[in-house]
Order: sequence, then structure tokens, then C-alpha cells
Amino acid sequence: MALSHLHRSPRVPSIAALSALESALSSFRISPQADLPSNRRHASHQAQGRANGPKDTAGKRLGSKKADGQYVVPGNILFKQRGTLWYPGDGCFMGRDHTIHAAVPGYVKFYRDPIPHPKRKFIGVVFERANVLPQPHNAVRRRRLGMLAYQMPATTASTTGDLSTFTPSSPLPQSDDAAVVATIIREQPQEERLTKTIKTKRDGRWVETTLTRRPGYQWRTANWEIGMAAERSRAAQSVKAFKPGDRFAAWRKRNARIARNAEMRAMKRGGKKQGGGKGKK
Amino acid sequence: MSLNRPLGQCIRHTRHERLLHVPYRTFATTTEPPSTPEASPPPTPPSSDATPTHRYNPNLVHTPRMEKKLLAAQNQYPIGSRRRRAALATSTNIPFSQLPYQCFQEARKVLRHDRTEKVKEIEGMRQRITRLEARAGEGVESEAERKQREHRLRGMRKRLDDWKILADVNDPLVKKKFEDGMGDMNKPIYRHLSDLQWRSYKRRVLMQRITQMNVVPDVLQSIDPTYSTEIRFSDFHKVPHGEFVHSLFSEKPPVLTIQPYNQGERLVTISIVNPDVPNVGRDAFDYRCHFLACNVKVSPTNTTIDLAKLDPETQILQEWLPPHVQKGLPYQRHAIFTLEQDPATLNTVSASSAGTLDLSAMKTHEPKWAERDNFILRSFVDKLRLKPVGVDLFRAKFDDGTSEVMQRAGVMGGDVEFRRKRVEPLPYQRLKGSRFR
Repeated sequence: MALSHLHRSPRVPSIAALSALESALSSFRISPQADLPSNRRHASHQAQGRANGPKDTAGKRLGSKKADGQYVVPGNILFKQRGTLWYPGDGCFMGRDHTIHAAVPGYVKFYRDPIPHPKRKFIGVVFERANVLPQPHNAVRRRRLGMLAYQMPATTASTTGDLSTFTPSSPLPQSDDAAVVATIIREQPQEERLTKTIKTKRDGRWVETTLTRRPGYQWRTANWEIGMAAERSRAAQSVKAFKPGDRFAAWRKRNARIARNAEMRAMKRGGKKQGGGKGKK
Repeated sequence: MSLNRPLGQCIRHTRHERLLHVPYRTFATTTEPPSTPEASPPPTPPSSDATPTHRYNPNLVHTPRMEKKLLAAQNQYPIGSRRRRAALATSTNIPFSQLPYQCFQEARKVLRHDRTEKVKEIEGMRQRITRLEARAGEGVESEAERKQREHRLRGMRKRLDDWKILADVNDPLVKKKFEDGMGDMNKPIYRHLSDLQWRSYKRRVLMQRITQMNVVPDVLQSIDPTYSTEIRFSDFHKVPHGEFVHSLFSEKPPVLTIQPYNQGERLVTISIVNPDVPNVGRDAFDYRCHFLACNVKVSPTNTTIDLAKLDPETQILQEWLPPHVQKGLPYQRHAIFTLEQDPATLNTVSASSAGTLDLSAMKTHEPKWAERDNFILRSFVDKLRLKPVGVDLFRAKFDDGTSEVMQRAGVMGGDVEFRRKRVEPLPYQRLKGSRFR
């Protein structure tokens, strides 16, 4: 400030004048000069807190759960891993967290398949212990049907949960008796056993409600059905479905909105005429 | 459509109406009608065909909106490609020879000169080939010499085919005709262009479906399709490769479009094989042939084959069996294979003419090819020395029409349902001691 007061004519002080002032004032300086390289080194590594200490978290129990040649059934976990150390081969699938599961009953095989994937390791399941993986790439895939044939009941309406009415398919030529004996098939499908339909009177009319068995033998409406209630309501039914590209409907709606807005504006003005200097625009 | 539009107007922007009012320079030649034979006149010129009764012109309609209106108002489909219709509607259709662009005309001259050179090459190559072929009967020729000559002839024919394509491949008129769908498949250039077009996208999709759905190792060990195939059920329902087809649609045999891209007429065998037939006793899947026909004539121009209209005496070995998937089963693939019959080596099956299979002899001597169940396509192809050239795929699953389709087709088992066989869980291994409780 004083400097500009002394040299009145130029607005900005010259560099020479500034440097002279700097050298004169340097002996009074308390703090070190800003542009000098300092000898302080800043931390490039976190030294406090959780950074370097705890490495003793609980083990995640990763790794192989079945050995080569071991018998597995569908759904068995073969390998738990982070990322894809192993890939699912024949008769296997990979779960959400890269866990390898068995998809078919059989024997576990660990193998490589260098023709399509030279760097990958695979886990597969074969039906016979002697089978080898990988299969030749032009050979027919080994597959199992894993199903049994049953005679469908003549009319679906008369189906009940009675065991006596349901007979496994002895008259069918294809069915294998040994296989039928060895397996236990539920007499009713899962969804039939776990749902009930009841009729209730609501708003003076009969309404069918489907009840689902929840844990603890409570029969109640499923959560997803409760969620659908708003869409099934009369109010929702009365709304016209939105049709994309229906310009006439859009035009009508727009005109109605403009008219409504005009009416609202007129109400706000309280019947006064527009065009006064005070009014908002 | 006004005639006084700028010549080089960008087709993509024709819907901007303001473009019409931009001042532009016109040439005297622009208003002349096309008179030279070089440019084929459009089938219906824009000025003449707009009759007052028909509001929308199927030759000129080129926006999706207008196309819809044409279909709704006049029950007509637009003619040709949208590019072509836009060009007809927005340009004055001056033949190439009269276009007032100097650079364009110079380029045409260069192309014309190039073509005459190529034609000269073709002539020369043809003469050389005939000379070399004529040398076959002269004098005594050792085996090595014969092989060398045949090798040379193969190379020369290949070069000749290449020259034929190169002569026309730069021609703007050829390009225009091809894009308008007016190409003549008897000419090598149009076969070449349509082959390129097929390989650029559709064949890739096909190969992906074939490999992902494992048709290739399950039905045949490998295939390199050179013919494109298209399936239509009920004449209008075009099926994308590997699509699910409702059982009521597939009750009648489909119409196939088998398009070869090389010259000449040939005989093919068409087989439709299902590799997913359940076999409960064996706990496995079997094969079943749903259709088998031999001696079907196919050429680049004769491509449509109605499987219902083939000759049962000389062509059909196994009639159409509608696809039927019983309840509970996973989907079943139906692979359509086009197999080229070899004219040279088929005389073993007592052929009446070159390449023709004698079906009556096959039915008596080789009855297993007339059986549907356990039809192994690999051994069929090997035995008859067929060459797999085309493949297609559609899928079937259980639906509401399946049981009635089975009943009408006389197939047993419409009331059979398949359910998963229970796999016994592994026994629970009790851990030693009570430390884990």
C-alpha cells in the first residue's frame, strides 16, 4: 500500500522495485520463504487407524469341497472361490458368487480343455466313474434325461391330493419299473400343495382369493398379490391405458390442462383484470 | 412430389420440409425424362402413377409413418427398398449418362475402361482353358502330368470366376440393381454380392445359434454352411434361426428357401432331425427324423421348396411328422440339414441318372433310412456320401396345441406327462462329538 503511495504515477509497481523491497524486508521475515524447497517429507502411506493392523479376519472357508472322483448330487457345492479360479465344465454351473455347483448326479472331474480355453481350469461331473473329460469336440454330448413319464389324469378338475387316485405309469411302454420304485415322486405338484383358493364376499360381490402357505402353517395372501391390489382396484381399472402415439388423446389432455391452468390463474387474480403494473408475469 | 427438387439432396433429411424452400441452381437437363437405355426406368415413374383414387403411392412412400398409412388405407405393401423409394420420390431420376457432374462422368469413364480390360482378360482365360482341356486327349500322358494339368485348370477356372466378379463389382448400376432386389442370380456378380450380404450378418447369427444350441456336435460333427436357408410355416410365418414354433403352426410342413450361391443346378437331400427325443428306459435322449426327402432340385434361381408338394414316389423317404413335445419335457431342437448329393459317387445306390438316388431300391435294401426313430444323420451322410451345405434350426416346446396335434397325427402319448426323477440326497454325515452343536 505504501509502495503505491510513494510511486504515484504507475499503477502497478515495477519488478525491480518489488525485488528491492523484498531484499530489504527479508531480514524481518519470520516465516520461511514460500518458494524455497522444504526439507519436510509427507507421508505417502497411511500410518494410523485400521490401515496396517488387523489382518486376522475370519477365514472365508474357500477352496475345494469335493475331491476328484467323489460322488455328488445336483446342487452340491464343489468349489468356493473369489473370482473364477475354476470354471464350470460339463454337468456343472456357477453360482452368483462364482461357486461351482454340480448340476447332475455323478462323479467330480478336475480337468483342462486347451482347445477353446488354453488358460482355464474346469470342474466337471461325469455320469460314469470311468468317463473322461474333456469330451472330443465333435462327439455327441453325454446327457441324461433324468425324468419319468406319467399318465396325465383324464380331467384336471377332479385332481385331489389323494394318493390312491394317482398311479405311476405302469401301462406306459417307455417307463422303467425299477426307476419308478427307486424314486419317490410327490403326489401333487409343489404349487398345488402350497396354494388354496377361497371365496369371500367383498363390496357385495364374490371375490376369489388365493392363499399361500407361509412358514408356520399360516395361510395368507402372498406379498406379491398384496402388491398387485392397487392395480386391480376399481380406480385403477377406470383409468384409460396409455397408448403411445395417440396424438388425439394427447391433444385433448393438453387442452384440458391449459384450460384448467387458465381457470386457476383467473381464480388467483380474484376476478381482477390482467395487465396491471404490479402483477407477476 | 415436386419435380424441381435439388438433385443431390440428402435422402436422410427429406422429411425436413424447409429444405424444399432453399434456393438452388437447376440445370436444363434435369427436367428431361430418362431416355437412354443405360439406366433402367423405374417400374412406375413418380409423375404418372399417382392416381386420385390412391392417395399413397407404394413406389414412393418412404417414411415408416407413410408406409403404415399405405397399408391401412389401401391395403398395399411398399414396393422395393426404402432407399429406392426415397430416391425415386426425392430425385429426378436422371440416367447416369446425363448427370451433370464432371467428376462422376470421368469416374464412369475409368470404370468403363477397366471393365473392357477385364472382359478382354476373361476372353483370353477362356481360350487358354479350352486349349488346355483339348490337350487332354493328345498323346500319352503320365499320371503326374495329368494331375499337374488338372491343378492348373482348377487355378485358371478360379481366376476366371474372380475376373467375372471384378469386371462388374464397381459398376454403380449393378450396385443399384442389387440393392433394389432386382439382381439376376444367374449372373456371378449378383450371386457374389448376395453371398457377401448373407455372410456379413445372417450367417454369423446362424452359426452362433447352431453352436450355442449344440446342434453341431449333437447331430453332425461339423458344418460349414454355404447355402442359406429360410423356414416359413403357413406361407407367412417366417422363423428366425432357432426360434420356438407353436405346435399348431408347425403341424403342416414348412416351405423352405434354400439359396445356393454357386452356379448350376444340383440335387440335394433335406432332412429334419430332432436329437432330443426322451428315452425313459435308457435315461437318455434319442434321435428322430421328422422329414427326409432326396433328389430335390435346387439352383440359384430355383430356391423355394414346399415340403408338402414334393413327389412321394421319387423324392420323399419320410413324410412330415409334426413336432410334438410332451408336457414337462425340455425344449426340442429340430435341425434342418441340406445335404448336397454327389453326382460322381452315387452310382453305388443303383442310380437311374447321375446323382439321383433310387428311393425304391433304398426302401427295400436299406429300410433303416425309412425309419424315424434312432435316425443317425452322421451315418446317413457317410453312407450316401452326402456333403452338408446348409443348416437351419427351430425349436418346439409343450404348448396348448400339442395334444390335439399329436392326436391328429396319430402319435401315441398325448396324455403323458414327464416329471423330474428324484435324486436321493447324500447321507448326512454326523460330525464327531458335540463340539459343533
